[in-house]
Amino acid sequence: MTITPHELNAPRKIARRRRVFFTLVFMITGAATWLMADLFWRFDGRLTPLECAMLVLFVILFAQIALGFVTALTGFVISIRGGDRRQIANTIAPGESPQLAGTAVVMPVFNEDVSRVFEGLRVVFRSLQETGRLEHFDFFILSDSNQPNQLVQEEVAWVELCKQVGGFGKIFYRKRRQQINKKAGNVADFLRRWGRKYRYMVVLDADSIMSGDALVKLVAMMEKNPGVGIIQTAPRLVNGETLYARLQQFANRLYSPLFLAGLNFWQQDTGNYWGHNAVIRVQPFIEHCGLPELPGHEPFGGRILSHDFVEAALMRKAGWQVWLAGDIEGTYEEGPPTLIDSAKRDRRWCQGNMQHSWLLLAKGFRPVNRLHLLMGVMAYVSSPLWLLFMMLGTVYAFGVANSHGRAVGESFAGALATHGDASVFGMPMQATEALTLFLLTMVMLFASKFMSVFLTLKNRDAAESFGGRKNLVASTLLEVALSVFLAPVNMLFHSKFVVYTLLGKGVSWVTQKRGGDDGTDWREAIITHAPHIAFGLAWGALAFYIRPVFFWWLSPVLAGMVFSIPISIGLGKLRFGRAAAEAGLILTPEETRPPYELRRLRLNLEECYKQMRPLDVLRADYGLLQAVLDPYVNAVHVSMLRQKETSSEEAREYFAHLRDRLLLDGPGALAQKEKMSLLHDAESMIWLHRELWRRPARDLAEWWRLAVRQYNVLTTTPVTALYR
Amino acid sequence: MELPVESGDAMNDLLPEGFRPRTGSIEAWNAAYARVEDYLRAHRIHSRLHQSRLIQAILEHAAKRHERNPSLDPTTLAAVETEAWMDRWFGAVFAGCDVPGERLAATGRVALLLTNGATKWPYSFLDTGEIPEEFARTMRESSITAGPNMAVSNMVPRPIDLGVITGAAGETLERMERWPVLKTCALWIFFAAVFAGIFLFTR
Repeated sequence: MTITPHELNAPRKIARRRRVFFTLVFMITGAATWLMADLFWRFDGRLTPLECAMLVLFVILFAQIALGFVTALTGFVISIRGGDRRQIANTIAPGESPQLAGTAVVMPVFNEDVSRVFEGLRVVFRSLQETGRLEHFDFFILSDSNQPNQLVQEEVAWVELCKQVGGFGKIFYRKRRQQINKKAGNVADFLRRWGRKYRYMVVLDADSIMSGDALVKLVAMMEKNPGVGIIQTAPRLVNGETLYARLQQFANRLYSPLFLAGLNFWQQDTGNYWGHNAVIRVQPFIEHCGLPELPGHEPFGGRILSHDFVEAALMRKAGWQVWLAGDIEGTYEEGPPTLIDSAKRDRRWCQGNMQHSWLLLAKGFRPVNRLHLLMGVMAYVSSPLWLLFMMLGTVYAFGVANSHGRAVGESFAGALATHGDASVFGMPMQATEALTLFLLTMVMLFASKFMSVFLTLKNRDAAESFGGRKNLVASTLLEVALSVFLAPVNMLFHSKFVVYTLLGKGVSWVTQKRGGDDGTDWREAIITHAPHIAFGLAWGALAFYIRPVFFWWLSPVLAGMVFSIPISIGLGKLRFGRAAAEAGLILTPEETRPPYELRRLRLNLEECYKQMRPLDVLRADYGLLQAVLDPYVNAVHVSMLRQKETSSEEAREYFAHLRDRLLLDGPGALAQKEKMSLLHDAESMIWLHRELWRRPARDLAEWWRLAVRQYNVLTTTPVTALYR
Repeated sequence: MELPVESGDAMNDLLPEGFRPRTGSIEAWNAAYARVEDYLRAHRIHSRLHQSRLIQAILEHAAKRHERNPSLDPTTLAAVETEAWMDRWFGAVFAGCDVPGERLAATGRVALLLTNGATKWPYSFLDTGEIPEEFARTMRESSITAGPNMAVSNMVPRPIDLGVITGAAGETLERMERWPVLKTCALWIFFAAVFAGIFLFTR
């Protein structure tokens, strides 16, 4: 099933695919629009301004649903027919071992769990080592961490990892002093310093895992296809433990193959970049993907936050192809553990995607790239539009109730029986058309799920990897039921994020108080979801007042809002996630048959977390403690700081003052910024180490006395599995 | 607090007979003992035998200095002696290498960490005897490189032509940002229009 790079790049075939695909989307949306308009028309023989507004919203929202449906349907047809020949991975023949070239594996990190970052990197490094092609790869941890503890732990973890895997000169660590332009700036900084040394770079997230085989394949594909600028893989969600995370990874694992096949069908050489687990040709990226600022200030303007879509569009604009390699195995990422964590991530993504509105009409972008940008915007803007559509529906129902009297439509079944009418959003309509429209919408929404299940059930082995056929069906029903409850809550979250972004406001979050690490606590859930409950109750009361039948139509939406607190807490519980796994529910192939890399990562992390943790009183500043007190940590830290030119008298006085305060009053007396200043000053760190060990106990803060007493009793290493 | 350091010749008499500090309280010397012990342990010198030899030698030198200047704290003196001992030892290892004086201890400790020196050669670190050649060579050869040699590129932001409509919208937004009152008014007018629309429809 291989294909030559020349065959792969066939513009006429690509254009034909897109014509077929978008004609289908247009036809389905057109039919549904016609039905909806006809229903409005039949009601009173005209289209009121409210009906026009609802119709416009309906077209926008239905087109989005249709796009998803046709993507899944295309994927389904391709899968039934045995797969798509026109995939970038098919340019490598089975057993072929093409040349590789210098590749940097870069992992930007920002205050992440140090153990997870370095153990993940260890697994990737080892896996690549086993392919025998390690010599082509260098690894870079690009730290933007701005917490003293993180900084010190990362340095020590890096040194220990290098020691253990023989990685000096192969695994590098770079700490940025000024965190300009977040992740995009972090990667750009890497490219400015070292980009020219490498032909390719593979960008990983802090929670990414890629197997050595996957990395080798990606680079091989790039070498084989010199016109390709980016190849994006489709990372699978793994390592979820809470019910929420496991549901997300189950959905991702079961449904995404169809969407990926469908996406590749119409995207072809104009794919998208999702920011990680992708290989990038460095030189064109440097030349064309320097990002400018957008009009206005953040959050809607200013620096581009979600850089990935834009970079894909810029690469494509410059003539470089961007491919999706959805069929590459061995590429993983982790999802948020709770609904609220997921919302926090969505908040950032929402802001980033909303900014893309500026670029929809940018000159020189390909239409498919514009569509990607629009899909990104709509992923969030559709929520307030749905909300608006439903609110207008409520207003409309109110009008209908007033004009028809309350008796009409009191009961949906009664209405069908007596008047031959059905009710959509409380509105009496011709039953056949209304039901057709309703069923069409339901099919659009849920068909992709059932097509995926059908395909998996057809293959016994695939079904077994999801826990068996019965469990697969039960898990899907559970996922569908819970996603129905989650959808309205996410709608409210996203609507709020969109409005706040437009108003230029940030969203405040409750600081979580975790009892152990078992998900969302009640306080956080109550404060976060209280507005959802209030909204659901008010809307429900209004709907019931308008018409009881309208209330029952809305009840699935209202239930999600009203029960958002128990749902949010329940889904965040580790024990529910584990119980579901033990019952054989919502299992994924990565759980039933874990690949080597994930098994190894799990074992390594278990070792890490077994280590004794520092005393509570020392924990908050343990990184600083180690950097001052531990001779090796201090030495590593100092050796990584630049030799400073002679500093001014003023600066010397400032540092001398900080140093004295740190030793006499303890780290609690210093602000975070002051601690970071000290950590960045080599002279101060050398002085502090020497002075701490020289001073008699009476000349030290109680905190330091305790630190000196306890340090050697505790583990002398940071909380990572570094001393194995 | 900078204290003068005695010359390295004193390192030769490691195990003095019947060592008793003649000045300073027993509590102060116990505290000094504990400090040196902690510091050596922080260097992963886990051999009690080696530790106690070093501690006693260091304290003996500290005690002699204390006799000359009893106002100084034994803990401080012991720490200064320990540092001096280390500086001399690292100096011997890195003799001929271009290591700046103020970074000698840091460089030495990093080398010791990378070679696992304190564990692999448990009696050699800070010993006055000859440093095993392999140990010294491994120490000299070890180094950490946080990044490869730079190969600088020029990655500059490329302007994107947003198109006429978006460009005009951008200019309007930037103008509105300069006039926050105008922005607020526009927002309130929008809200008022929505409410008016709902009111009119429901009449």
